Amino acid sequence: MGEEVTYRVGIPVLGLRGENLGRLEKVLFTESRHQVTGLVVRSLESLHIVPLEKVTSVSGTEIRTHLTPNDLHQSPVFDPTQYEEVPPWFFPPGHHIELGALVTIKPLDVREQGEESAVSRRAFMGKSVALLASAIGISLLVPIGGYIMAAATTPVTDNWRDLGVKLQDLPLDEPVQRSFRAVSVSGWMRVPEDRSVWLIRHSGASDPWSEPEDQKKNLDSPLEEGHADPRLTVLSPICPHLGCEPQWHKGQKLFICPCHHSIYQLNGKVIGGPAPRPMDQLPVRISPDGSIAVIYEQFAIGIAAKVRLA
Amino acid sequence: MGQKIVEYLDERVRIRALMSFLLNEPMPGGSRWAYIPGSMVLFVLILQFITGMMLAFYYGGTPDHAWDSVNYIDHLTYRGVPVGRLIRGIHYWGSSIMVIAVGIHLLQVFLWGAYKRPREIMWLVGTVLLALTMTAAFSGYLLPWDERAYWGTIVGTNMIGLIPLVGEAIKDAIRGGVGLGALTLSHFFTLHTMILPTLFILFVMLHMVIFRRVGPAGPFSGTPEQNEATKDTFYPRQVLMDSFGMMGVFILILLLAILRPPGLESVANPSNAAYNPTPAWYFDWIFQLLKMIRPEIVGVVGLPVLIAVVLVLLPFLDKKPVRSPFKRPLSVLSTLFVLVSMVVLSIMAENGYKKLVDVDRAAMARGQVVFNQSGCIGCHTVFGKGGKIGPDLSEEGLVGHSEHWLTVQFVNSKAHFPDSIMPDFTYLTKQQQHDLSMYISSLGRMGWPDPTKAQ
Ligand code: FES
Repeated sequence: MGEEVTYRVGIPVLGLRGENLGRLEKVLFTESRHQVTGLVVRSLESLHIVPLEKVTSVSGTEIRTHLTPNDLHQSPVFDPTQYEEVPPWFFPPGHHIELGALVTIKPLDVREQGEESAVSRRAFMGKSVALLASAIGISLLVPIGGYIMAAATTPVTDNWRDLGVKLQDLPLDEPVQRSFRAVSVSGWMRVPEDRSVWLIRHSGASDPWSEPEDQKKNLDSPLEEGHADPRLTVLSPICPHLGCEPQWHKGQKLFICPCHHSIYQLNGKVIGGPAPRPMDQLPVRISPDGSIAVIYEQFAIGIAAKVRLA
Repeated sequence: MGQKIVEYLDERVRIRALMSFLLNEPMPGGSRWAYIPGSMVLFVLILQFITGMMLAFYYGGTPDHAWDSVNYIDHLTYRGVPVGRLIRGIHYWGSSIMVIAVGIHLLQVFLWGAYKRPREIMWLVGTVLLALTMTAAFSGYLLPWDERAYWGTIVGTNMIGLIPLVGEAIKDAIRGGVGLGALTLSHFFTLHTMILPTLFILFVMLHMVIFRRVGPAGPFSGTPEQNEATKDTFYPRQVLMDSFGMMGVFILILLLAILRPPGLESVANPSNAAYNPTPAWYFDWIFQLLKMIRPEIVGVVGLPVLIAVVLVLLPFLDKKPVRSPFKRPLSVLSTLFVLVSMVVLSIMAENGYKKLVDVDRAAMARGQVVFNQSGCIGCHTVFGKGGKIGPDLSEEGLVGHSEHWLTVQFVNSKAHFPDSIMPDFTYLTKQQQHDLSMYISSLGRMGWPDPTKAQ
């Protein structure tokens, strides 16, 4: 080793007494040993394999061996159909070979069955691999998809929250913001949090302001329709535009959102600004003694339809 | 279409050359079933990565949430399919199968003499991967934060504390304090989900790169010329064999996950001094051996050191090129001896544990009705509800009473405790006694409330 060996295709191969045996045609590479193990020499009649042990010296101009012409004649014939060229990354260290000259023996089944049927057999095996791999992949990905969706699709349960105020204590035709304690559930965790709603007690059922815009426009779901009360409207504090919180302006008698100035009337109707729909009405239940309970729903932001977030 | 993509990539990243480099690796002597264990390890490792990431989606790594989050995962269903239990089951059984696969891989490499020159460094990287596997198994054990996890980790880390001079410091560093607590859990979680996977990826890559440098060892018999003459490429035959192996392993893990889903004991209770922790089955033999070696310190320090030294030094001490196991009787016999001792020790350890009753869930549900209606709950508390005259039974299933012991206790408690004031429930039918014993055996082990159903 040490010194780099250069094999140059076409240089003469000399015998024991310096006679010309032929020319270097190819270099034989034993792939499973990562070693060059022989040379292919073209003599007048054919191609012969010379094992590396028989080679005494290699230089840029000639290769010396201790073979007689007869020895060469006895050595195995090189059958090009049994060999293939080696890709460059397999070049053994310490050897420099002109491209296209390094060959290695083909895999067994290619040699035995011939190129064509071996290739189709190999293609069949390749398909079987793909089949098995996809079977494993699919049977893993399906439960994983379900696993991820399982939490995403956990149904929200509707909880009636008592607001701790009585209807008779609310001012007439004047929105009041009322906060209450809610529980937000996320997976295994329940976090108490503060929520608020607007309460608007109407002076009379005939009052033109008493009917929420949602009802007029038929935006409500059965839940909200089933739990509406002409005496009281409950509005979500969340602006349907982009989720800010509109404030009640006493002087103008309007809700105005500070973010992009959507303007709403007392019943939630939009009369200005970018909001795509009225303020969202929430389901309400009033007991005979006047105590008020609501379901705190949340809806998709930025669209004209009132779509509940699951 | 596919052809076009290949052309596009070939022009830019030489995909064809890359693929043929990866797939046309020569296999001296041809493909064999004996070569699949390494691929099996890699497959299970990938499975662990995927399911582990999934578990981390819903896991809460603090003592006040870890147990709840695992219980939540156990109850996650999608269209009626218990996906959470399935994913956790794959991860749980995957760890056991991974330990087995690593063991088989190590054994095969040893018997084939494949660790010998020039593959010493590859073997060393392999021992690092073995250590990583064991550490991953140990650190994952704590994460559900149930009784078994807590007490198992107490014992495991205490053993580290026995190491002279540095032991205490290492133990406290691992625990993040003197006792087990929030920091221990986040330490273990970080170790299990960040440090170990990173190291796994690095060392697996190193293992593979070296593998490609030195090539597969090939069969232990036959001359190089014969092996060259019968050689095959890695793709497709060996890949196909590997795929069949993976399919088999996958089905095995899936079956285990479905038929024997992992349990969850009641939440870690540091005051439950009666709890008797048992190690994971693959540590059984060490557990048993440690019981036999006295003084204890010799075993605790000596055993792992001995194993490490033997594994690390092996390829450097055993330099004879002969690979065939038939010509290395000493190696084979000592391997056999070690294997048999491991099995015997494990069986001894398992026999030493109190067997928990296999609970039949239907009977358990009926037993709960008996418990609530036959007056038991008048004296005994279960999960905070019930009387205070008798002992709290919330974790009674973990004590390890046999069904026979329990039925005797129901009808004649004085047989066990002469001073017992418990009435003899002789009017219970045989069926009711069975159901009740199933229910009692389940306490502290299963039947947790479903957190996905809002109350
Ligand atoms: S968020 Fe209210 S107007 Fe834009």
